Amino acid sequence: MRATRGVVGAVGVVVGLYGAWLLLSRTDTDQLVSAVLWLGGGVVLHDAVLAPVVVVAGVVAARALPGTVRASLAVVAVVLGSLTLLSLPVLFGREPANPTLLDRDYTTGWLLVASIVVVVVACGTLVLERRRRGAGPGGR
Amino acid sequence: MTTLRVPETRDFSSRLRSPAVTSRIGIALGISFGVCFVTGLFSHYAQLPDPVVPVPTAPAWGYRVTQGVHVLSGTAAVPLLLVKLWTVFPRLFLRPPRPSRELLVHLAERASIAALVASSVFLLATGLVNITAWYPWDFSFRTTHYAVAWIAIGSLAVHVAVKLPVVREALPRDVDDDGPPAGGGLTRRGLVRATWGAAGVALLATAGNSVGWLRSVSVLSVRSGDGPQGLPVTRTARAAGVAAAATSAAYALEVSHGGRTSAFTLEDLLSMPQRTETLPIACVEGWSESASWGGVRLRDVLDAAGVPRGTTVSVESLEERGAFRRSTLPASYADDDRTLVALVLGGEPLSIDHGFPARLIAPNRPGVKQTKWLGRISA
Repeated sequence: MRATRGVVGAVGVVVGLYGAWLLLSRTDTDQLVSAVLWLGGGVVLHDAVLAPVVVVAGVVAARALPGTVRASLAVVAVVLGSLTLLSLPVLFGREPANPTLLDRDYTTGWLLVASIVVVVVACGTLVLERRRRGAGPGGR
Repeated sequence: MTTLRVPETRDFSSRLRSPAVTSRIGIALGISFGVCFVTGLFSHYAQLPDPVVPVPTAPAWGYRVTQGVHVLSGTAAVPLLLVKLWTVFPRLFLRPPRPSRELLVHLAERASIAALVASSVFLLATGLVNITAWYPWDFSFRTTHYAVAWIAIGSLAVHVAVKLPVVREALPRDVDDDGPPAGGGLTRRGLVRATWGAAGVALLATAGNSVGWLRSVSVLSVRSGDGPQGLPVTRTARAAGVAAAATSAAYALEVSHGGRTSAFTLEDLLSMPQRTETLPIACVEGWSESASWGGVRLRDVLDAAGVPRGTTVSVESLEERGAFRRSTLPASYADDDRTLVALVLGGEPLSIDHGFPARLIAPNRPGVKQTKWLGRISA
């Protein structure tokens, strides 16, 4: 396994450096500045904004909410949080000049998906809770 | 009252963070990145102006599938990446060891993780913005997305090599090997399942762009699939600035070969044998749609102009600007029976946004190279 890891790691280094070389050699300075801003901006937005917010929300939820509610909220947050993040360009992006692009009502669409997710998770929680109680000390 | 300080790894107490969870989600994420990388390389190659070995013309739906998979795999990777990063976030606050050989290893691993996270977030973010035809940056999307993809896949390989022992130890064990959480709350298995669910919801909500029967379900997809003649448009006639030239009464398709130029008016083209082919149009942005195209076989036009078989031709649009106003059509495409100078879409004359009076439509070819508003073909 040691040898395999060595080979995979070495290939990875070479491939990654090739990418860096492509980036540096095929883009002029203005473009490179913009690319570096986007590369660094993503990390900063995640590590300094999104992740701390989620961690703090988790700590608050752990102190304030009972387990079942917390579990359901966590599932809703994972599903809807990531869906919302990946839909930001269609929800808040630029209005295109092309009538066949971004031609849906995305706010309604998002609300629809959000309601379905909330209802499904709520029903799932109720069913699991019932089953858990049924199988508990009084059930059998 | 406690004072604020930089957190340490042990300050993060959630038991949901475990190598068992990270390994499982990491494997799925690695697969989706691998799929994105391979399909992306293919798309990059297929879009080269003059590839050494042309992409084969069959299957006609090849690019449609690879590019649809590329965009969908990237979309599904968003929840996987977010949860994956959440499970390892405390490691950001690992204190580096004292100066020694370990410190060097530590710093090297940190550098590879920084490259991996930066490139992963970059690829997903720019990809998702790009499919809405929005370019809020100064770099060339194609060049930069391609270069950063190599950085991502390289640093991913390094990461796999470093973490392989951890994964091998964590995978065979049950995810919830220390029992259910004491105060209730989500189990690790619950978190993993929620992550799969999030990826599934992301796919369903957007896949209608490339999977026709999901169109009514995919309420967050970039295109509804509607458009003139029931087909979306990537570049409109207005954006291309061709309306006047395309509707001019003096329009003729010029075919030049060896110093000789033949001109075909729309009537000339309509008086030639008409064929109908069902071929998909598949855009790099991931949307695709199959349609019934009518028109003249390109080979018939080339024959009439005296261009011999086996000739690579250059196809030019009436557009005056635009990176894709001209494209090369390898001989295998020019001679393929299904390659048409299309005049008709779904039984009606082409609408101006679909390339009136004539456009190229060929099997297994990226949409940007299906030249609209055909002006000139030269051998």
